[in-house]
Amino acid sequence: MLTINLFNGLVYGALLIVMCSGLALIYGLRRVVNFAHGSLYMLGAYLGYSIATQSNFWVALVAAPAIMALFGVLLDRYGFRLLQDRDPLTVVLVTFGLLLVIEDFVQTVWGKSNLSVPTPELLNFTVDLFGTPVPAYRIAVIVVGAAVALGLSLWLRHSNYGLFVRAASTDPTTTAMQGVNTDALSAGVVGLGTALAGLAGVVAAPFLSLSPSMSSDVIIDSFVVVVVGGLGSLAGAFIAAMVLGMVQALGAVYLPDLAMLLPFVLMVAILIWKPAGFAGSRT
Amino acid sequence: MKNQPLSLVTLVALAAGVAVASFVSSGTLLSLLTQAVIYALFASGVGLLLRQNGMVSFGHALFFGSSGYGLGILLQLKLMPAEAAILVTLAGLALAAFVIGLVIVRVPGVAFGMLTLAIGQMAFLTASRSRGLTGGADGMNIDWPSTLFGVAQSQLLKPGNMFLLCWVTLVVVLLALTLLLRSRFGSITEAVRDNEERARFIGIRTLVPRATVYALSGVVTGLAGLLSALNTGFVSPENLHWSLSGVALMMVVVGGPKALWGPALGAIVYFLFKDILGDLANHWMAIFGVALISVIVFSPTGLAGLLGRLFQGRPQRSVPAADAARPVVATGTAH
Repeated sequence: MLTINLFNGLVYGALLIVMCSGLALIYGLRRVVNFAHGSLYMLGAYLGYSIATQSNFWVALVAAPAIMALFGVLLDRYGFRLLQDRDPLTVVLVTFGLLLVIEDFVQTVWGKSNLSVPTPELLNFTVDLFGTPVPAYRIAVIVVGAAVALGLSLWLRHSNYGLFVRAASTDPTTTAMQGVNTDALSAGVVGLGTALAGLAGVVAAPFLSLSPSMSSDVIIDSFVVVVVGGLGSLAGAFIAAMVLGMVQALGAVYLPDLAMLLPFVLMVAILIWKPAGFAGSRT
Repeated sequence: MKNQPLSLVTLVALAAGVAVASFVSSGTLLSLLTQAVIYALFASGVGLLLRQNGMVSFGHALFFGSSGYGLGILLQLKLMPAEAAILVTLAGLALAAFVIGLVIVRVPGVAFGMLTLAIGQMAFLTASRSRGLTGGADGMNIDWPSTLFGVAQSQLLKPGNMFLLCWVTLVVVLLALTLLLRSRFGSITEAVRDNEERARFIGIRTLVPRATVYALSGVVTGLAGLLSALNTGFVSPENLHWSLSGVALMMVVVGGPKALWGPALGAIVYFLFKDILGDLANHWMAIFGVALISVIVFSPTGLAGLLGRLFQGRPQRSVPAADAARPVVATGTAH
């Protein structure tokens, strides 16, 4: 019982890592808390569903994030870039408007009923984990989460573009003066962040069913993660995502009545203790 | 509009309410207007927080829903007459909002918005999971007595009277807020909003005024929750859901948070517009999403700012949240 719960906590944590790394990247560069991020995740999941039913899951796994990446680049070019001199709260409200538009679009195109994507054939078996059988697909989700976390960390730390992204997150003006094209960089990063939201959607599709409410469920948990981790901090978000996954898993065993509330209690407690989040230095 | 004497504006507003209540005979239209006015009050609470604190709440449905629940529970337990229960609910709400405010207004900017969202969702989940008294996801009926403040329930629930009650409440609340914000309290909160650090330098304690504004905005929204509980006789977790907070915020932005009456105008426009849309209302989310983005991009001061420009021929002064780094002039935006 405990094993399977901890395992599911790990799976959910991995999914949140993929979601929140996109949210944190976009915040880092554009100082925008993207309220539409959950809707982008949902859009990715539904796109993945359509592509998977037309061809197969593996094509969807590549194609849906690619479409979302394009969407993200356009969003930055014709949205965030034009609004970069506005008050951050204004831009937050724009993303809230975008959320409404995407939600309506998804409901119009795919309807309100629940849809499901079958587990891909290749991963449709179970693995024995400490005497508990667990689906191989969920192990793959953990692998995806770990790969995203590792890949992004290495990219940010060791590549030139990673250096530019870190520099622009700290001080965009100075970075631009050093000759970095920060507009193109931001477009790329928002594209990457949006693609990660889409990837999270496709990955989630086979084990969470698709419904128009899937966005609000995940966006609130994601907010908890990025706020607890410290806005814009990737490492903080990775840790917070795992903590949140575990807190929910353990809460479901030991405090079943309060399990739903634990993430929020965690968030409120952390913010009272450290208003900038536990890895955040910026406000 | 601010040049006319306040008492005149108030009288005209009250007379307009009486006129609507007596000349509009269609019950459907009246109940639509009643709902619009209730949401106008809801949005006024959200707008007050943005106007006086420069803070955006994504979780004000917390106060809208919990006032209904608070009253419902008090009436169910039959501890006190309904009139007292109303006052106790509002007082409890003010106290709770003040305590929450003391904690969360310290969190800067966008994180504050996310925190309000989290607290709101916490209340929503609690209400939808808890069985027993509050009826879980099904909601609870509110046990109103047959007379309230000496008025028979049947009389009160007539569409015209219900509308008038809500309208008068809205006008009185806006009047009271206008008077309050003309006082020293208004200047202090504006100084704190524009630059908290400088306000501290000149010796203003900043935490309590900000928490007070938060509490005040919670009570205004809570009052809307009570009117809604009276109007529908029912409260459900939907009243606490974050989408409601989002809709209220939308009304504030569309109406314009600069003027106290802006959010109310936004709410009324929202309901009338939604009604005109008719069948297209299935797509209201997309339509309002686009409207919201357009207003923010092209007219940041909202409809109120637009009207202000039309009537006065000069732009309104800067939007509160827009430039926190602006030098403080304590009376800068006090009207």
